Amino acid sequence: MLRLAVPVLVLALALAGAVLSDHPRPPADFTFINRADPNTLDPQKMSWMQDFRVARLLYEGLVRNDPFSRDFAVEPAAAERWEVSEDGRVYTFHIRADAKWSNGEPVRASDFVYSWRRAMLPETGSDYIKLFMLIKGAEEFYRWRVDRLAAFKKGDDAAVLWSRTLEKFDEIVGLRALDERTLRVELARPVPYFLDLCAMVVFAPVYPPLVSRYEQPDPETGRLDVRSGWTKAGVLVGNGPFKLVTWRFRRDMRLERNEHYWDRASLNVDSIAVPSVEDPGAQVIAFTTGAADWVCDVTPSYRGDLVEAKLAYYREHAAEYERLRATGLDPIEIDRRLPPDPRKNIHTFPAFGTYFFNFNCKPRLADGRENPFADPRVRRAFALSLDKARIASGVRRIGEPPTSTLIPPGSIPGYRSPRGLGYDPERARRELAEAGYPEGRGFPTVEVLISRDGGHDVIAQAAAHDWRTHLGVRVVLAQKDTKIFRNDLKNHNYMISRAGWFGDYGDPTTFLGINRTGDGNNDRAYSNPVYDSLLDRAEDETDPEARMRLLEEAERILVEEDLPLIPVFVYSNVYLFDPHKVSGITSHPRAEQHLYRVDMLGDGKGAERPLALPPLAPDAAQRDESPAAADEPGGRG
Amino acid sequence: MIGLIVRRLLQLPLILAVVYTITLALAWAIPGNPLENPEGRQPPPEVVEAMKRQYNLDDFWTFYFSYLRSASGLRYAQETWRGGAVEDDETAPPPRYVFDLGPSLHQEDWRVNEIIAGALPVSVTLGGAAILIALVVGVGAGIIGAVKPNSAADLATLTIALVGISLPNFVIGTLLLLAFPVALGIGSVASWGRPQDAILPAITLSLPFAAYIARLTRMGMIEHLSADFVRTARAKGISEARVLLRHALKNAFLPVLSYLGPATAMAMTGSFVVEKVFTVPGLGQHFVTAVLSKDLFLIIGVVLIFATMLILFNLAVDVLYRWADPRIE
Repeated sequence: MLRLAVPVLVLALALAGAVLSDHPRPPADFTFINRADPNTLDPQKMSWMQDFRVARLLYEGLVRNDPFSRDFAVEPAAAERWEVSEDGRVYTFHIRADAKWSNGEPVRASDFVYSWRRAMLPETGSDYIKLFMLIKGAEEFYRWRVDRLAAFKKGDDAAVLWSRTLEKFDEIVGLRALDERTLRVELARPVPYFLDLCAMVVFAPVYPPLVSRYEQPDPETGRLDVRSGWTKAGVLVGNGPFKLVTWRFRRDMRLERNEHYWDRASLNVDSIAVPSVEDPGAQVIAFTTGAADWVCDVTPSYRGDLVEAKLAYYREHAAEYERLRATGLDPIEIDRRLPPDPRKNIHTFPAFGTYFFNFNCKPRLADGRENPFADPRVRRAFALSLDKARIASGVRRIGEPPTSTLIPPGSIPGYRSPRGLGYDPERARRELAEAGYPEGRGFPTVEVLISRDGGHDVIAQAAAHDWRTHLGVRVVLAQKDTKIFRNDLKNHNYMISRAGWFGDYGDPTTFLGINRTGDGNNDRAYSNPVYDSLLDRAEDETDPEARMRLLEEAERILVEEDLPLIPVFVYSNVYLFDPHKVSGITSHPRAEQHLYRVDMLGDGKGAERPLALPPLAPDAAQRDESPAAADEPGGRG
Repeated sequence: MIGLIVRRLLQLPLILAVVYTITLALAWAIPGNPLENPEGRQPPPEVVEAMKRQYNLDDFWTFYFSYLRSASGLRYAQETWRGGAVEDDETAPPPRYVFDLGPSLHQEDWRVNEIIAGALPVSVTLGGAAILIALVVGVGAGIIGAVKPNSAADLATLTIALVGISLPNFVIGTLLLLAFPVALGIGSVASWGRPQDAILPAITLSLPFAAYIARLTRMGMIEHLSADFVRTARAKGISEARVLLRHALKNAFLPVLSYLGPATAMAMTGSFVVEKVFTVPGLGQHFVTAVLSKDLFLIIGVVLIFATMLILFNLAVDVLYRWADPRIE
């Protein structure tokens, strides 16, 4: 018997040793739970929000946005100033003398050339490669490289191809480092939102001496063999406010103040911890037990109840709450002025994204049948019979504003959203009858394609209910796994599908572009030459006012006439944080968090000044009230 | 004994090759393209094509042999032979692993080797603790039940064992989480690395194993307690404790021992549910998420690790078996 106890004892001792040798670090000044572990910390490759959130701390572009200004103003960052040519095509950036990498080396104009060139190479696999094609010659350079790689044969010299590629780039692409601190960018056409793009993390620089070591031409294929590894803690060199100290896969991440950062005096915390907690329930528990200061995406099934509880809190303080709201204050500031209560730690702010349903607009369905949704009258009928307010308030239950436009209203300064189609079952039936299906007679069974998880089934059920009752059509749901869902969308193997889109930069084209004929994100196969030509004309239009009017007309066609999609509601971000303790999270509808602004109030470090958006003018505060916010007090706060 | 170990270790690569072939064939058949984002912005088709070629995702057999070459260490051996892996360190790319399991297609910054190297020790620690708890609790409960079959104590342990087997981990885990850190303020949430962080997840993970071990022990003990040699021992006047431990348990433990092989391999390769509920950075989550995102390299990597551990623990059990009971050949 003792013999058997020996292995057990050995196991116990080994465990004790393993556990004791693994020391966690002391708590950081600010701890937040990201939606998920970042996919990549390579700025040119990333496209996920959780990646951007961290990358904004590690890298800095030429310019940055101020999330505490109403217009999300562009302000100097790595560049201290810039000039734009008369025709809006040439930007000259002057990089500040004290812009430094985290190893103390100066940030050079050539670092930007290197990084942006990376993004234009097909082998980098940048999700945002299209944005770089706005630079003159980039498209041609990319095509040239694709062709050369396709023509590469065994026995060709990869190094020769690579040096030819660099020459070609210098020859045709309008991107040049005039000297160490001057960057000249020539665009293919005027892009009024180009500075906003430069503030995106994908346009931030990487440190060439490090990254080039991981990207060598592969002698067998001629492609750059892009290897991971340089984004790890201890290796990564960035130019942002913080540097990466630890990154353990799906475990935790820790950032500390970058002592070489030019604006280090403005930082209010020394360290930021990002433990990886993926379970929605565990995220909430981590916050309530004090293990996290901010949860950036609250998704457990009971979050509607949490929001409900906050509304009850507002009702208890109704008089004070209404008075503060009338002054146009930022909802975070309103919360700060109301008495402390844990119920108000949940916050729902409108996000820069829209939930909608796609229609397959192709003349025939994937199985060869005629597609009834090719007819805009049918699409309008389905849109008009959808009770969006009921979906937002009855199904989602977190106070998201129902919408009839693709672009979240009020999110882009200077852009006036069209009205769109509201809820009108009467007109819906008329439209369907005109299309040849009175009372839904003869209409094929409608299949609504949705993906698993994320609560899409209940939303689709509510929609199916409306279509059945008002239009008299048969509706079934087809729920599929994400990969199959994605495949069906790509192959247009569906009739109606759920969808969503988040904007990337502060211009209507970030939403409207996905409905262009042949666009890679046009899952609807929608094609209208009038719509396309409006977008084309907007591209050439140099007067910003006139340009906005063209884009407004394009969206009007989309949401009032053609309806390739039915906008349902504007997404909300649901956050957990204590407004008395945390400053630096913004409620701006662009919904980007710049965490280098974070200040822990009451810790004695930093400015200790609570940040908020400036108050809206009182009349604007009235106008800002969406119908949802009006009947649910604080629905957006 | 040495012969057994050598024979099994020689079989290992062959079994792994078969496991690899089957896994790849199944994973390859998962619909969808691993390089496409499930949501939102899609890269242009040329970019997807270029990436597909880079990872050999455009042809099954190219992928099959190129993965086999790097995972088996053949590529490393060839490159070292040719001197390809040795370069001056200024421009040298990062080192290749001897057994290179490839990149993760979904977590672009990580190689499968790094992911496993980070997660496996966590899972082994947690799984080891769970098996230890399961052994102590399970054998203890089994003995209690067997001493007085059908008594209140026996019924209680049987019921608890039944609950342990039937209640899913996420229910027990969530209940423990709500009871200790949330309601009582004991222990921690979303933290890993301190000894106390392992307690609740280890208990949760151990329950089904403990329950099974309890039933195995009880059955074996009841059987042996009525056997002739036990009656003889009692007749000789040996103390009851000695009879239980020395005579009955020693024999009743053998089925538990053979169960421990696969059980330890299971526990130590992680549990998706326990890891989710307690935020443990272990290996179990990858069995599920890798399949959902069709991350081929990661799917094969974790399956190969699991297969290796299963084979090694079964071997360890066989060795222990012979050591504990020399009659077995």
